[in-house]
Amino acid sequence: MALKHLSEFKNLLGNQQRKRLVLAAAEDLNALSAVIKAGVDGIIEPILVGDKDELLKLAAENNFDLSNIRMVHEPDPNQATEIAVKMVRSGQAEVLMKGNVGTSTLLKAVLNKEWGLRSGSLLSHIAFFEVKNYHKIIAVTDVAMNIQPNLQDKIAIVKNSVDCLNRLGYDLPKVAILGAVEKVNENMRATLDAALMSKMNQRDQIENCIIDGPLAFDNAVSLESAIHKGIKSEIAGDTDLLVMPDIEVGNVLYKSLVFFADAKVAAVILGATAPIVLTSRSDSDEAKYDSIMLAAAISKKS
Amino acid sequence: MADLVKKSDRKFRIAVAWAQDPNTIGSIYKAVNEGFAEAFLIGDRKSIIRTCISKGCDLSLVNIVDAPDDVTAARMAVSMTASGETDIVMKGLVGTDKFLKAVMNKEEGLLVRDSVMSYVAAIEVPAYNKLLFVTDTAVIPFPDLHQKICMADYALDMARRFGIEKPKIALIGASEKISPHFPNTIDYAKMCEMARDGQFGDCVMDGPLDLFLACDPGSLEIKGVQTPVGGAADVLLFPSLEACNPFYKSLMLFTHSELAGIICGTTKPVVVMSRSESELSKYYCIALACLMVS
Repeated sequence: MALKHLSEFKNLLGNQQRKRLVLAAAEDLNALSAVIKAGVDGIIEPILVGDKDELLKLAAENNFDLSNIRMVHEPDPNQATEIAVKMVRSGQAEVLMKGNVGTSTLLKAVLNKEWGLRSGSLLSHIAFFEVKNYHKIIAVTDVAMNIQPNLQDKIAIVKNSVDCLNRLGYDLPKVAILGAVEKVNENMRATLDAALMSKMNQRDQIENCIIDGPLAFDNAVSLESAIHKGIKSEIAGDTDLLVMPDIEVGNVLYKSLVFFADAKVAAVILGATAPIVLTSRSDSDEAKYDSIMLAAAISKKS
Repeated sequence: MADLVKKSDRKFRIAVAWAQDPNTIGSIYKAVNEGFAEAFLIGDRKSIIRTCISKGCDLSLVNIVDAPDDVTAARMAVSMTASGETDIVMKGLVGTDKFLKAVMNKEEGLLVRDSVMSYVAAIEVPAYNKLLFVTDTAVIPFPDLHQKICMADYALDMARRFGIEKPKIALIGASEKISPHFPNTIDYAKMCEMARDGQFGDCVMDGPLDLFLACDPGSLEIKGVQTPVGGAADVLLFPSLEACNPFYKSLMLFTHSELAGIICGTTKPVVVMSRSESELSKYYCIALACLMVS
């Protein structure tokens, strides 16, 4: 099975009880408006931790109805973040989202040894793209968190991502480990790591997916290109997940798809005990909303 | 691009190595027909004639040079170009590695001493209001500072030949911040310093910039970043082939972009296209190579 549109995340939510999303330092209009809309649409149940006065002001200015929304007053963003993280840890919420607080502050709280959301895995970023001219959604990792992952990191990133795809209903996602070329080249670290991971997949060291690599981008997403080059691959042209060699590669691809290919995107941070929504100002409202849907769809029931 | 070439009112002589490929012959014949190219098709004479006939080419308009095999054809095409009999050398059906080996041959090849060979592509992207010159899409996996400097020089040179007097070049990174975690950004800072001293000629250079800051004016305000490139880059220099490759391939596959590219840093323009490229892409490459003949 594979998803064609990001909007299908909503169908995955089904009739189960709404997941609770806690917005840390909620007095951030960008994040808040997406959360409120998702709340109104029944995607999630919002919990707002932040400066209550500021929240009421934003609500009045933007016509948000906060009457049925749980709010916790904490004007200090660092404190608010700690409260939000602890709420997820204690089972009062299933999804964490970043509001008016720096990414590093939020991640530090998530990684806190005493009260954070460590799961033992590496934190990693996964982005789902709906691109015209590709027959289904394509996931890409890691375009935002891990700068230069080594083999061990990449394995953790793939495991996080495969787990996420499994939760979305992909039994056996097709995972392409990207290189600039499809041949193993001893001078290109990415191609060596890719070959190793393919083998580890065959030996069931990385499960619940089909891994092939190295593959160049075009072989991974276009069967025609793969055939032209004479590449035999189970996943060529039908990739569900693209694994980037490093953040410079991923970042460029991410921005190229969004800007030049007019792709829709939803993204979430994996590897903690709960999914984390980390959107930036440059994300569209739609991207924020879709990211919330994604996080709700993959979150565990607490 | 083809218009610019036609304006030069010149016929460029092109040697094609192991030429018996329909797309290659079709593309070069189009250039011949439009009056800006003279073709020297090197390869198996019989197959070349057969391919020409099947493509409806007038055999009297092309020169055919017989060669026994692909390696010899590549060597002949390169040495004809090195000696000045032809202006441009183009790869036909011969494999890229064999072809480049001939190009890089120390005695008969087209290498400039100590120079860096690099690939520059001109890409027409529907969602962008002008051509983008992109480097390096094919040759240098992980460029060091010296190689990056050469890449910038070649790409700027190409942009200027398209009439862009003061090209804007963005040195692409994951963000706009210089960071020791990203060694490429240190190189970029040095290059910007050199650009201020005028070492890259008339141009606007800035980096590191992410793709949004390079190409989307709207992102400057959102991110609160000031850059003279201003979201209107003509040239994009990528930190690695790994980063550039998915970039341009995603454009080709998902956005119906058109690409033409050549190898720079050689004594004469070298046209290397994947064998699977369309006739039109190859034709654009030929036109680009003509434009780059000094």
